[in-house]
Amino acid sequence: MTSVGRHHLHQHNMDQWAGRLLVDRKRPSEPDIITRALASNRMGVASVVFFGVAGAAPLTVIIGSISAIYAIQGSTAVPVAYLVVAGILSLFTVGFVAMSRHIVNSGAFYSYISHGLGRVVGVGAAFVALPAYSLMQIGLFGLFGVVASGILAEFGLQASWYACALVAWALVTVLGVLWVDLSGRVLAVLLVAEISIVLIYDLVMVSNPAGGSISFATLSPAPMLTPVVGTLLVLAIAGFVGFEATVVLSEEARDPKRTIARATHLAVLLAGVLCGISAWAMSVTTGPDQILAVAAEHQTDLVFTLVGPHLPAVLVDVGYVLFMTSVFAALLAFHAAVARYQFALGREGVLPSAWGYTHPRTGAPLLGSITQSVLALAVISAYAAAGAEPLLYLFAWLTTIGGLGVLILMWSASASVIAFFQHHRRGENVWRAYVAPFLAFLLLSIVLAATIIGFGDLLQVPAGSPFRWLFPVAYLGVAAIGFVWALVMRAVRPEVYAAIGRGADVRVIAPAESEFPDVLPPAAPVGSRGYHY
Amino acid sequence: MLADQYYLIAHEDRTGRSRLHPRATGLGLAAALLAELVLEGRIGVTDGDLFVLDRHPTRDALEHDILDLLIAQPQHRDVRTWLAFLSQDAALRVGERLMRLGAVEPVTRRRMLGTTHTLYMPNSAQQRNAAAWASTRLANLLIRGMELSVTDRVLVSLVSATGLTRHVLYGFEMYPQAFQYLPNAAASLPSDLREIVDYTEASIGSVLTAGRR
Repeated sequence: MTSVGRHHLHQHNMDQWAGRLLVDRKRPSEPDIITRALASNRMGVASVVFFGVAGAAPLTVIIGSISAIYAIQGSTAVPVAYLVVAGILSLFTVGFVAMSRHIVNSGAFYSYISHGLGRVVGVGAAFVALPAYSLMQIGLFGLFGVVASGILAEFGLQASWYACALVAWALVTVLGVLWVDLSGRVLAVLLVAEISIVLIYDLVMVSNPAGGSISFATLSPAPMLTPVVGTLLVLAIAGFVGFEATVVLSEEARDPKRTIARATHLAVLLAGVLCGISAWAMSVTTGPDQILAVAAEHQTDLVFTLVGPHLPAVLVDVGYVLFMTSVFAALLAFHAAVARYQFALGREGVLPSAWGYTHPRTGAPLLGSITQSVLALAVISAYAAAGAEPLLYLFAWLTTIGGLGVLILMWSASASVIAFFQHHRRGENVWRAYVAPFLAFLLLSIVLAATIIGFGDLLQVPAGSPFRWLFPVAYLGVAAIGFVWALVMRAVRPEVYAAIGRGADVRVIAPAESEFPDVLPPAAPVGSRGYHY
Repeated sequence: MLADQYYLIAHEDRTGRSRLHPRATGLGLAAALLAELVLEGRIGVTDGDLFVLDRHPTRDALEHDILDLLIAQPQHRDVRTWLAFLSQDAALRVGERLMRLGAVEPVTRRRMLGTTHTLYMPNSAQQRNAAAWASTRLANLLIRGMELSVTDRVLVSLVSATGLTRHVLYGFEMYPQAFQYLPNAAASLPSDLREIVDYTEASIGSVLTAGRR
């Protein structure tokens, strides 16, 4: 074959190949260059789950909250409470995620509420959300202070909880202003380590049961029918707070429709099962009748005391360190969440626009970050000055009060899902659009009602104390302020009011409606409109 | 070229670092590149959709490259998709274009863990002067209240939308009329370009809200 002939053949081949390629490329279903390039930089299910679960900080919940609930509430139904809450929130997630598929701007709960129930209610919800998340973060400083001073005492260093909390506060403040989010990889490594240590501890506790036989008494659903249940459920809900963070990432997810739904469900189940099993394992190793007394004695050291005799000392020390890092990661995550919430509200004009300003290079929402830091410093200093017991009055109280706010948010979000799908199913099936949201709303209503009724017992205050009713009324008050503020905005600044809960996109869509028709016909090249080099 | 000007404004002339969050810079550059194609009459934007008006190649290789991709991928019309896509490597590609012009030079830095990365930054005194002139020229135009060309109005709108205003007008706080002009710069643009600016601002907003690098 001559070289010319080969060349011709090659040419012919190339033509055929190119022709095939052009035909093939028209198939729209195939993942194309753009989609693939964008997907490579986005988050898969695993990263989103990490983000959601790490926000909830499972080790903080298991070692901090569960032992505190056992110690303070004096009920053995803790394990089943976590499982029940995981069930309720899974039901809630079905409708919530279905709704997130139809909303372009994926913000936090308040933007869902403003879509479903209207902007007035949405602003009210935002005003409830701000103190709720803020209080939860501040409460965690109490836990961190107590734990850190306990660990330092082991090394023979005397430091008050206040000093330790101040160090953590300074670190969180600096990292918050610099907007150093713990990167996904650091968070993932910490989370995997936390989950492994929890599983090891659970295994040790279950394999060393009290009296030699494993008791399933604390998993019995029977106490779920008693009045104490409401108080337990709201405490358990506080352990799931991070899971709404997954929906915020929908624009960063590889396949927004599927990734986020799977990740949110996984985050709820993972947190629920981990907490439920750990709470049960604690009761197994002490015996269901002893757990309350042992928990009251050891408080946050409960788990470490229980596993200590059966494990090498290194694993217990690792647990302590991971517990510290877990609480600190939670502090940082909540700080960022609060700052971001204020930033979103500032950008939409609900808060003064100064809150919508970010540092140009880092993107840190400066004013939101500083506001939260100042508030936290004021509150922990006030507690230190009053000499109040930090574990009960700072950690348990503030996270419980914050948990009530989050519960109110979830409850109104579940109502907004129903309202959103009321007129139109938007292609979702009956289960996702009607049945699951309705069941979730019903169950959350019951939990909320029981919580408000039993809130005084939750805080362990005597009958007749104003604290029994003060906090639910305070939330009602801030919600009312939000309603009024929204009405004022509607009257004074209607264009800002129209943007509430719509994120950044609204400014793009709004002017298109009032646009004057083009002077030139649309086919005219744009460059011809008086552009000169 | 619009994107070149924006690149020089958005990067520090001495260190080559981005003055904004890297993703914001990328989006600003992507918007500048799309605006270049609009100004050349190759594409148009209506209601958030891009469409190709003229398939003739542009004189500039980078613009031609992007135009070719726009023609090859007709299933993607959304401006935000294209902004997100182009923003991924916009800094690199505009940097390469500036290098071909001789305005910057590639500088390779070694990071702590042995990975290298290449910055395109002005290296000689002359290049640095030219780079600093990009923002000084804009400030000068704004302060004197001079008539701006369409290109400059797009540049000013992008500077304001991406948050570089404080940098460009640094030290000129006594000229409030310059600051007052900025938010209105986009309003006087043709609708295609205005949409690009608006979508850029929206994209930067959601990138910053998600808070991920």
